Amino acid sequence: MVVKMRQAAIILKLWKASMMQAMEYRGSFAFSIVANFFDFIFGFLQYMVFFTAAQSIAGWNSDQMLVLYGVFMLVFALQFIFLYPNLVAMGDMVNSGNLDLLLTKPVNAQLILSFRRISFEELGSISTALVLLGWLALKGVIQLTLQSVALFLVSILASMLLIYCLFLLLMCLAVFLERLDNMAQLMWSMFSLCRYPVDVYPSRLRFMFFSFLPVAYIASVPAAALLGTASAGQIMTGMIIALTATFATTLLWRRTIRAYTSAGG
Amino acid sequence: MISNRISQSLNAHLATLRAHFKIIFTYRGMMLIQAVRLILLPLVLAAAWLSIQKTAENPYSDADYLLYYLLVPVILNLTDSRLVFRFPMAVRDGSLSRELLKPFPPLSGYALESIANNLIQLIYLLPFTLLAGYAISDRLQLGHLNLQLLLYTLLAILLGGLVRMLISGSISLVGFWLEDVTTLNLILNGGIWALLGGMIVPVATFPQHIRCIAEMLPYRYMLSFPIEIVTGRLSQAQILQGFAVCLFWSLLFALIMRFIWKRGLKVYAAYGG
Repeated sequence: MVVKMRQAAIILKLWKASMMQAMEYRGSFAFSIVANFFDFIFGFLQYMVFFTAAQSIAGWNSDQMLVLYGVFMLVFALQFIFLYPNLVAMGDMVNSGNLDLLLTKPVNAQLILSFRRISFEELGSISTALVLLGWLALKGVIQLTLQSVALFLVSILASMLLIYCLFLLLMCLAVFLERLDNMAQLMWSMFSLCRYPVDVYPSRLRFMFFSFLPVAYIASVPAAALLGTASAGQIMTGMIIALTATFATTLLWRRTIRAYTSAGG
Repeated sequence: MISNRISQSLNAHLATLRAHFKIIFTYRGMMLIQAVRLILLPLVLAAAWLSIQKTAENPYSDADYLLYYLLVPVILNLTDSRLVFRFPMAVRDGSLSRELLKPFPPLSGYALESIANNLIQLIYLLPFTLLAGYAISDRLQLGHLNLQLLLYTLLAILLGGLVRMLISGSISLVGFWLEDVTTLNLILNGGIWALLGGMIVPVATFPQHIRCIAEMLPYRYMLSFPIEIVTGRLSQAQILQGFAVCLFWSLLFALIMRFIWKRGLKVYAAYGG
């Protein structure tokens, strides 16, 4: 317990440091929040444009698609705040040999490497996503019952865990390949699978997305929970898959680090 | 004397291109990942378009959408320009100062690097495209293809690549003044391009009024236009008109780029290093 507290304290200190670093360039910081706001608007416009040539997509109408977009952006922004800066730093770490230095320190390397940095640049899109979801709730598109909200929270948690697994897999890949720029772009393209509801895919692929490649649980299922169309069983399955995957990727990470023979310097 | 100088310059360009080929080839692992990245979103969009309930005026059939999104990654890659990432980086890390000392135009160097990158990327992309094409071959309609259409397509890709490079170049040269041009790029190059260039929605399927706007902007020519030619839905006149619009934008941005370059070089203070 004491050890865990100490790790948490270290991470909090590191977060403080990365905040201070960001505040050093206040103009650039404000600028990137604006940029992310634009990013959100363009994503929003994409759906609008999409529905000029389509009426509904795999049973989702434009309002329901906006719920999906709101959830997608929420998850994406959370990922961006907590994980993304660490992923970007990881490529450098391996390449420059700083990883070796960190591995010799008496800390949990997985924890520190995963949550060393934090970036609040996505605050623009996270607040806009919340405004969008709030507006959809007012409009009555989102079902605001105790059950749907509880299911939504569970499914968002599962979604975050799954994204963390993907993140950890990419970290393993970075260690393994010893060089991996554009990892952020790779992560981004994985996210493109979640921009549209899983119902658009052919049935075999859909089965994959609900089981081995659990893409469905990242945005589609939480959105369905808010719309009141997801079953509790489905959401629990998602949670179980997420926990299993977290366990498996952590094991993989440990094996990768054990096999790591140092690079760069 | 002049012909001598031209051949000298040509040789220098070819040598630079060869050098970039070799440099990029050493990092070919990334190319494979990039190929997956290029293919994924079009795949998702194709799946999305096949499962929609269309509006009444949408002229595309399922076969049209399949052919369209099969070709999107290829065209996307061929007309892509890395100038907008490359140039601001060179300003920041100071390597531009070194390039400026060489008896070779630095912008040509970055442009050639971008071209070499796209061509090598194509090698890693085509197997995926051919495989996907084979998988859906019974649903593709290619009977109308002829040599003339293919030549038009090739020309459209070249022009599309040119106009994209000139726009990206103009944006990246603003890097002389702004440290970070990614937002500018996001709005002018990424955002509008994705909306009206044919990525999310094929330009031909837009409602009339949006389509007219899209056809006047340069973005359609970077992606949708070459594919529209392949699908054989454009008349000769429409194709030529497209070329004219594309040429107009290329010329305009070539002038803008030249203007910014001359102004920018005067304020460039060569920091970093």
